[in-house]
Amino acid sequence: MLYILQATCVSPQPTYGLPDFSSPRHPVANRFHALEPDYQGIPTGILRRMGKAIRLAVGAALPMLKAFPTMPEGIIIGTGNGGMEDSIRFLDQIIAYDEGMLTPSDFVQSTTNAIAAQLGLLTGNKGYNSTHVQRGLAFEHALLDAGLLLRENKSAVYLVGGVDEISASNFNIDLLAGWFKQEIIDAADLYTSGTPGTIAGEGAAMFLVSLNPEGAMAHVTAMELLHTEDPGVVACTLQSFLEKNGNPGEPPDVFISGENGDIRNQPCLEAVEAMLPADAAIARYKHLVGDYATVSAVALWLGTLILQQQAIPGALVKKRGNLSTISRILLYNNYKNFQHSFLLLENVVAGSPA
Amino acid sequence: MGIISAAGKDLSGNLLSLQQGRSAIGPLQNFPSRYADRLPFGEIKISNETLRRQAGITEPGVTRTTLLAIPAMKEAISNARLSEADLRSPRTAFINATTVGGMCLTDELAKDAHRKENGSEYLSSYDCASVTLFLMKYFGLTGISDTLNTACSSSANAILQGARLIRHGLADRAIVGGVDSLAKFTINGFNALHILSAEKSRPFDAGRNGLNLGEAAAFLVMENVTAAAGKKCFAALSGYCNANDAYHPSSLSDTGDGPVLAMEGALKSAGLAPGDIQYINAHGTGTENNDLAESRAMERVFGTVPLFSSTKPYTGHTLGAAGAVEAVFSMLSIGQQEAYATLNFTTPMPDSTLVPLTRNTRVPMQHVMSNSFGFGGNCSALVFSAC
Repeated sequence: MLYILQATCVSPQPTYGLPDFSSPRHPVANRFHALEPDYQGIPTGILRRMGKAIRLAVGAALPMLKAFPTMPEGIIIGTGNGGMEDSIRFLDQIIAYDEGMLTPSDFVQSTTNAIAAQLGLLTGNKGYNSTHVQRGLAFEHALLDAGLLLRENKSAVYLVGGVDEISASNFNIDLLAGWFKQEIIDAADLYTSGTPGTIAGEGAAMFLVSLNPEGAMAHVTAMELLHTEDPGVVACTLQSFLEKNGNPGEPPDVFISGENGDIRNQPCLEAVEAMLPADAAIARYKHLVGDYATVSAVALWLGTLILQQQAIPGALVKKRGNLSTISRILLYNNYKNFQHSFLLLENVVAGSPA
Repeated sequence: MGIISAAGKDLSGNLLSLQQGRSAIGPLQNFPSRYADRLPFGEIKISNETLRRQAGITEPGVTRTTLLAIPAMKEAISNARLSEADLRSPRTAFINATTVGGMCLTDELAKDAHRKENGSEYLSSYDCASVTLFLMKYFGLTGISDTLNTACSSSANAILQGARLIRHGLADRAIVGGVDSLAKFTINGFNALHILSAEKSRPFDAGRNGLNLGEAAAFLVMENVTAAAGKKCFAALSGYCNANDAYHPSSLSDTGDGPVLAMEGALKSAGLAPGDIQYINAHGTGTENNDLAESRAMERVFGTVPLFSSTKPYTGHTLGAAGAVEAVFSMLSIGQQEAYATLNFTTPMPDSTLVPLTRNTRVPMQHVMSNSFGFGGNCSALVFSAC
C-alpha cells in the first residue's frame, strides 16, 4: 500500500525525539495529557493562538517536514474532534454574551480542517489538503486516502497524521456517555479493572509516506476497516484479511492490540487474539497514552519503532511470545466497540512493490 | 441525485426555483437566535418533528443535520434505482461531508460539556461522524464509509473521494455528498468574522457585503460503467482537483492561487482545455474576498472566462453541503442545457471586468465546472460532462 519514510509522535509519553518508556508517566484522574515538545522555530505569538490539537500536530510534523529534503505533495489529517476546546469556548461565548459580538479566532480554529490547513499555511504547501473525521477510523481513512493518492502520483510523498486533543469538554461528554471509567484508576490497572469505559488520551502521530522503499522505515502492506458490534464479524474479517494478505506459514510475529480496558470491547478483542498463532508476541499501549479517536496513529508509530528496533519496549509487552526477528506486525484497533481496523505493517524488503 | 434546500424539498422543487429565479432567503423560524429577524437565511421550512416523522425515526439523539440528509439520500437512492442489496453491498461506499455535524445543537452541547450528570440524549451526536454513522445504520450501508470536513469545500471533496474509490477499484458505486444545518454556532462564527450580509447576498456585485447562511443536503450516486449500465445518467464526473491556497485561515489570497490550482488541476484530470468548459457554477459567496479572488483566479485559468454564475442566492451558503448542492445544480444545468442566473446582481465589480450571468441562458453544455472553496484554504473544483 505504502512505505513510511519518516514518523514522529507527540503523546503523553516521551515519544518525541528519542523514545523512552523506562519510567512511564501516569494519567491524572483518568486523563493522559500530551507531553508537548519544544516548539522551536514557531513564533510564540502564533503558538499562543493555536488550539491544542493544532499545536500538537504542528509540534509533531513541522520539524520532520523541515528536515525532509522535499515538500510533500499534500497533507492528509484524520481527527475525531479537531479543536474541541476552541469549539466549546466559542459556544460558551455565544451563551455568555447572548450572541453578542464575539471573537472569531476560536470559531476559525475550531473547525476540524484547521489542523491540516495550519500545516499547509506554515509550510506553504499548496498541494492536496484534506481532513477525515470518521471518528475512530478518521486516521485510517487519511491513510487510505494517501494510498489512493500514491496510486495516482507514484513519485509523490504525502504527510499523513492522526491528531486529537482531550479537553475538559470532550472528556466530560464522553464520560457522561459512559466511554470513560466512572472510577479513577491507575494505568497499571487498566486491563484488569473489569468495568466499562477506558481512560482518555491525546496526541499527534505524523508520517511521511511514499511508494519508494529506499530508506523507508516500514511497509504498510494492507488495511481493512469495518463498522460492527459483532465479534463474529470481526473474527471473520480478520481471517479473510490474513488469508488475502498472508504468505502461507508466515503469520504476524507481533500483534499490537488496541485493548483499552473497557469490558464491552473484550469479546471482539478475544475473538481476534484467538486467531493469532500461539507463539505470537502481543503488545498493547493504551495504558501509556490513553484512548481517543485517532490513537491508532500512535499504534502505527509504535509498530514502526518495533520494526526498527527489532524489539518491543518492555512497558508495552502483554505476551512475550517466541520472537527471533520481527518482520510482520498486525495492528488491531477497536473504537467504542463499533469501529474496527486491521493493518499489516512489515519490514522493508528492497524491490518489493508497495 | 437528491437534494433538499431552501430552494426546494426535492430535485424538481430546486429545479423550479432555478428556472423561476426564485430565492427563498428570509428570516429564521426554526430556532431562536438574536439574528433571526436581523439577518436573512436559506432555511428549510420543515420542522425537526416533521422530518423525524417523515423518516420514521422514533429513537432519541438524532440531530437536524442527520434528519435533513435522509430525504436527499432517499431521493438519490431512488433515482439511481439502488436495491436493498446494492445498499448492503460492501462494494457500495458512502462518503459524507459535514462541517456542523451535531453542533447544530449549540445550547445542548454547551450544557453537556459542563454538566456532571444527566447528560442529554445527544451525547454521541455532536461530532461530524455521528451523522454518517446514523445514516449508515438507517440505510443499511456496510461498505467503506467516511466523513470529510474541509469546511465549505467538504462535499466537493466527498464527491472526488468517491470517484477515486471507484477509479481504483475499491468500490463499484459510491453515495457521496454532504449536509449542514443552520446553527447558532455557525451563525455567530460567520457573524463574528463580519461576513454575513444583512441583505440578500449579491455575488460578484460591486455592492456585495457578505453571504447568507443556508442549510441543505445533497447526495449523488456515482457508479462505475458496469454498475451504471442501462441506468439514466445525469452526468459524468470527468475531472476533479483538491488544492490549498496556503495563505490565511479564513480568507483567500488576492491572487487566488488555491482556486487557480484547483481549477487547472480539474481541467488537467479531465483532459480538457479551458476553452472546453461552457459554464462555471462559481463558489460566489457574496463576500468581498471570495468573489474578487475567484474572479482573478478564473481570469488566470481561462483568459476568456466562460459563462458563470453563483447559485448561492437561491439556497444561501450551505457550507459543507454547498459543493454537493452545486454539483446537483451543475448537472441540472447540463440536463436542461440551461445556465442559471446570479440573483440580486446589478453592478459589476470595479476591480474586475467579469460579469456573471444575470438571466437564465440556454446554451449547449458539454462540460461544466463547479467550484468550492473553504476556510483553511481548502479549494476544490469538479468538472461534470454530459453522458
